[in-house]
Amino acid sequence: MSMDSDNLNLVDDLNTQEFTINMGPYHPSTHGVFRAVLTLDGEVIVKEENVLGYLHRGMDKIAETRTYSQFVPYTARLDYLASALNNMGYVQTVEKLMGIEVPERAEYLRVIIAELQRIASHYLMLGSTTNDVNAVTGFLYYMHDREKVLDLLEMVTGARLTSNYMRIGGVIDDLPEEFFPKVKEFLAYLPGRLEMMETLILGNEIFQERMKNVGVITAQMALDYGVTGPNLRAAGVRFDLRKVAPYSAYGKIDFEVPVLKNGDAFDRYQIRLMEIKQSLRIIEQAVQQLPEGPIMAKVPKLIKPPAGEVFHKMEGARGILGFHLVSDGGPKPYRLHIHGPSFVNIGIMPAIAPGMLLQDFLAAFATIDVDMGEVDR
Amino acid sequence: MIGTGILKGMGITLKRFFSKKITQDYPDVMPVITPRSHGSLDFDAEKCITCGICANECPNSCIKLDTFKNEQGKKVLEKYSINLGYCLFCGLCVNACPKGALSFKTDFELACFSREGAIYTWKGKEPRPEETPAQPGDAKTAAGE
Repeated sequence: MSMDSDNLNLVDDLNTQEFTINMGPYHPSTHGVFRAVLTLDGEVIVKEENVLGYLHRGMDKIAETRTYSQFVPYTARLDYLASALNNMGYVQTVEKLMGIEVPERAEYLRVIIAELQRIASHYLMLGSTTNDVNAVTGFLYYMHDREKVLDLLEMVTGARLTSNYMRIGGVIDDLPEEFFPKVKEFLAYLPGRLEMMETLILGNEIFQERMKNVGVITAQMALDYGVTGPNLRAAGVRFDLRKVAPYSAYGKIDFEVPVLKNGDAFDRYQIRLMEIKQSLRIIEQAVQQLPEGPIMAKVPKLIKPPAGEVFHKMEGARGILGFHLVSDGGPKPYRLHIHGPSFVNIGIMPAIAPGMLLQDFLAAFATIDVDMGEVDR
Repeated sequence: MIGTGILKGMGITLKRFFSKKITQDYPDVMPVITPRSHGSLDFDAEKCITCGICANECPNSCIKLDTFKNEQGKKVLEKYSINLGYCLFCGLCVNACPKGALSFKTDFELACFSREGAIYTWKGKEPRPEETPAQPGDAKTAAGE
């Protein structure tokens, strides 16, 4: 549906004055409080400007006033749709700084929860994107399945959204007995549902018209702008930190990194469905291989890492999530910098927006899948 | 053929239309909640030793302990309060408690009409002994304020 502005301006006399509108900060399609200042020529975008900061809470600064373990629940509020992944990134950073070796069982438990969280996060993206291109049915179908993931997460962590399951040195609780039959049921249930969603959404011609060749990010562009995660893989670059630099128990688990080549909204949408299938594979193997043993390493009650600094990155649901932690030897971090993938990914919007129709902008923005909690921090 | 994808989709939605409803009748029928669910916090005053580790551990400082010294000179709990309005439900206090006095319960209906309503308080084991009559000096400072 993307058209050049030339095609629309059939007659020169019909040219209208450019005008500027605000999309957001309160807009259902901005997934939080994102404001885009759009300069429009009719319905075609001429210029787009990102305005950020409406959800700024000063997380980096809060970290300096909390102890190392007290900051773990705050990381869940960064990207609140993938809280367990944020927890994991932060605790691994502190563990790296202190040189703590996490027990193997804890690593597997982390992987199980992280992948469940990734499925939940991708499901929300798929659902909300479907909603943004006016297919409300699809949204409700995705939400129905997402509930099942959240039920599993709640069963283990006690919380549906902002779980605080990972601790410095391991995880807080073992899997409950009733989790195993439930996860088995879930693993058998979801592939059929995914197939159904592919028929319902991907096979729909109207949906294809709305998504194909919209907001194309080429591989070169993605690399230039530092786009990571599923958006990069949809552009044709096979890069996944779980594979490239395996952390936790990912090195021992067999899975593939799906790649598509067009980099348009449709591919960015489809790659999430493919990644969910791989996540299911990872969970299945992790549950099977789950070793016996302790779930917490021996960690001092008051965590005081040695003076120094460390940077750790991992594959979040939206791309590379990094934490740069500086310690002065005290009980609180001297400085924490959070490298959120959404913040980097959103930076490509001004580059791809010109020439798009307003409706296409929504589709392109939704498929980039940003989480404002992570952008503003 | 254009339109087959839409027809297939319509078939799926039609099937869904005639299958079982999944809506929960929440206020009428209570949902089944897993035992680990962080619904709200529960406190057992019998087990509390007023060490204050929970209050120190809380990232948002929403736990408050009011203590006094009893006749034996031992620190005793008078009142324990948690401001659930600021609570993150992270569970750091539950894990930190050496005596297991704090726990999560599945009761999640915490709606209240005022900010004060979000502060949950529990009484200690023994009440604070009767205050000795206020000294003239104290009365003066109170009046001054």
